[in-house]
Amino acid sequence: MSLASCNPAVAAVCLLSAAGIAMFCMNPVILALSLCGAVCFSLLCGRAGEGRWHLFVALLFVATALVNPLVSHRGATVLLVVNHTPLTLESLLWGISAAAAVAAALCWFRAFSRLMTGDRLLWLFGRFSPRLSLVLSMAFRFVPLFGRQAKKIRQTQRALGALREDSAAGSFRGSARVFSVLLTWALENGIVTADSMAARGYGSGRRTQFSVFRFRRADGVLLALALLFFAGACIPLACGALDTVYYPRAALPRLTPAALTGYVSYGLLALLPAAAEGWEAIRWKCLRSSI
Amino acid sequence: MEVLTVEHLSFTYPQASSPALEDVGFGLAPGEFVTLCGATGSGKSTLLRLLKRELSPRGEQSGRILLCGEPADSLPPRQAARTVGFVMQQPEQQLVTDRVWHELAFGLENLGLPRELIARRVAETAGYFGIADWYDREVDTLSGGQKQLLCLAAAVAMQPALLLLDEPTARLDPIAASAFFDTLRRLNRDLSVTVLLSEHRLEQALPLSDRMLVLEGGRLREDGAPRRVIPRLAGSPALLRAMPAAARMGAALGAAECPLTVREGRKWLGRHCIPPAGGTDSSAAPAVNPDAPAAPAARSSASAPAAAPGACAPAGFSGARRESAALELREVWFRYEKQAPDVLRGLSLTVRQGEIFCVLGGNGSGKTTALGVAAGLLRPYGGGVRVFGRRLRAYPGQSLYRGCLALLPQDVQTVFLRNTVREELADAGTDASALPFDLGRLLDRHPYDLSGGEQQLLALARVLASSPRLLLLDEPTKGLDAGARENLIGILRDLRNAGMTVVAVTHDVDFAALCADRCALFFRGQTVSEGTPEAFFSENRFYTTAASRITRGYFDRVVTVEQAIARCAACLRREAADADD
Repeated sequence: MSLASCNPAVAAVCLLSAAGIAMFCMNPVILALSLCGAVCFSLLCGRAGEGRWHLFVALLFVATALVNPLVSHRGATVLLVVNHTPLTLESLLWGISAAAAVAAALCWFRAFSRLMTGDRLLWLFGRFSPRLSLVLSMAFRFVPLFGRQAKKIRQTQRALGALREDSAAGSFRGSARVFSVLLTWALENGIVTADSMAARGYGSGRRTQFSVFRFRRADGVLLALALLFFAGACIPLACGALDTVYYPRAALPRLTPAALTGYVSYGLLALLPAAAEGWEAIRWKCLRSSI
Repeated sequence: MEVLTVEHLSFTYPQASSPALEDVGFGLAPGEFVTLCGATGSGKSTLLRLLKRELSPRGEQSGRILLCGEPADSLPPRQAARTVGFVMQQPEQQLVTDRVWHELAFGLENLGLPRELIARRVAETAGYFGIADWYDREVDTLSGGQKQLLCLAAAVAMQPALLLLDEPTARLDPIAASAFFDTLRRLNRDLSVTVLLSEHRLEQALPLSDRMLVLEGGRLREDGAPRRVIPRLAGSPALLRAMPAAARMGAALGAAECPLTVREGRKWLGRHCIPPAGGTDSSAAPAVNPDAPAAPAARSSASAPAAAPGACAPAGFSGARRESAALELREVWFRYEKQAPDVLRGLSLTVRQGEIFCVLGGNGSGKTTALGVAAGLLRPYGGGVRVFGRRLRAYPGQSLYRGCLALLPQDVQTVFLRNTVREELADAGTDASALPFDLGRLLDRHPYDLSGGEQQLLALARVLASSPRLLLLDEPTKGLDAGARENLIGILRDLRNAGMTVVAVTHDVDFAALCADRCALFFRGQTVSEGTPEAFFSENRFYTTAASRITRGYFDRVVTVEQAIARCAACLRREAADADD
């Protein structure tokens, strides 16, 4: 089953644990695994416009990697000297690692924001407080609603000749005017919403929370795997088995059994979302060919 | 036992000199469908809100309200919320949450029901209302009609014994309104939900109703079956104006039991006037008295050619052909986004100076978009737009919106900026005395506290402040009652007679029939027909007025109820004379 169709809590745990470890660790192996997992996942659930995003991430990666050696001159191995400033190998390696960390985090959070749509986030927060969940649900609705109303107001006011957008001051005054109309509209119409809530018994006692998401067995399996891998990566990380030194000389940590467990666990964790996605695709293919 | 009993109910708003409701008493039996009628300000909304405890306005109240035999005040809050469902006018603002399924579950969550029960009720309701297809969607992606259906479904999911609806279809287009009434009727028949509905759009509501209540000045004037009540309203033209066309004809011609629907109207006409001759061929039908007035006085001024518009021709313009065109769209193509489908597909349209031009058409036919293009708010990717013979580009800066063209949007609340009507007019640089209509008694009110019709007039006042020569109106009669509509028609005619050109986009065929000099029908971003209202509506079969549908085959080229009554009266007179001979 893919993350898009599984329980929101499971999807959140999978993505956040993979992203979280990569944010607190500068080990190049972990970062490489993280970036690899994130890019695979994003390619597998790719849609139109994805190419541009990957290009953007690649450019950002290159830029971040190259900026560090230009501004930081720490490190023992000097590669070349430009204008009396040394460019060091360690600084370049640190730059590449940092770039990988940033790119991986971007990819993970993009995947997170795409998977966790309003209603799924809501379900997640609603676990803690039904009231918070309602507030969020209303916010998810009202923000785009206000945006659309503001657009309508702007058109109306333009046709009234009330907006002079030929100067900066004029366009600022115009925006203030639109905002003022919008504010009155929002306050006045909020009354209708409040009435509608009261009419349907809001505030008549403790609320329950209804949702369309369930926790199925496959969700349990996925969650157990994610937690297992997370623990397997976390413990070596906490014990310092994955600590990497960049300065003065870059060196990977020794490949102890602990470090190996960490690498394998994190590798599985980072590839879990992509694997789930791939598994779903393969299963569909099999099902279709058997029809 | 009655679902609702109201005894001697009186209510006065704080600081009001006279009561909003006075000694109102009636009862609703289980499964009854009752329509509440009355002009704006007659106390309809006040009455409905008093019956829903959570929405009761503050004020001085006397008398009793019993729900299922128990005093409404004594019910526990959850039971009170559950027993009475309430649907308001604004589909958009009534929705609370962002998803369709959550909206359906909202009321049930508030009642603290267990999840399994909510799941069952939500599923059942979604199935019954045909919502299952859009169950997962965000409410913002729904149309106005779907939103209002969702509001109804969300209220019904709580399984109320009584459903109160406060002008639920006032903001919907006719198709969506029909769908809403169909659902309401189904609910009433299948589940025996008791319905109390206040409405301007009585054409569809009354045929469904077992009873109608008529409020006048806060008092209950009539209570009974619509067929019997409507003839008793013959003395009050203001109330009668809101009734279905068939009923107005029946009442004016002295029917003891009014016909309510087009079908009944035709049947009644068949019995009392000349039977239709030769099927649908209308040319064979008019064996009508040739002396009968061709059109009542109300129309004759409207059908006269435009008053001399020479004075408002743009300076420095010469060109005989275009001199009379106030607005000209030629082969206009428009789409909102690169990937989106075309909304206007080669639209061509010419509006002459000094006429009222009505554009009709279904949802998504491009009416509103055409107005946006004409007003220079949307830029077409093909074709040309000329206002008074000049391209839009030839109007530098704001000059198009200063003294040339003005647009009154559909949502008039996007116009209001100030806290009182007086400030609003001052902001526009005008004052009440300069207007062709009277806002004098509203000057110190907040724009949002005005009724729909009054808001429309205030917005019109703001728009007229720039003294435009071309006025574009988007759905000007949406949410207006019959009186406010009549008033607006009078104002538009006066403006037209003073030389202004008016283009109105509307769903309201009766408005177009009464007001327009010419009408056009849009379909898929093009004009498919165009003509004077008489020709236009008598040629249309579906997209036409009820009066035209009733009289089709009996009388020729009848479009408004007044025309129909005049022709019938002449015909009845002749029959009476024949009988005397």
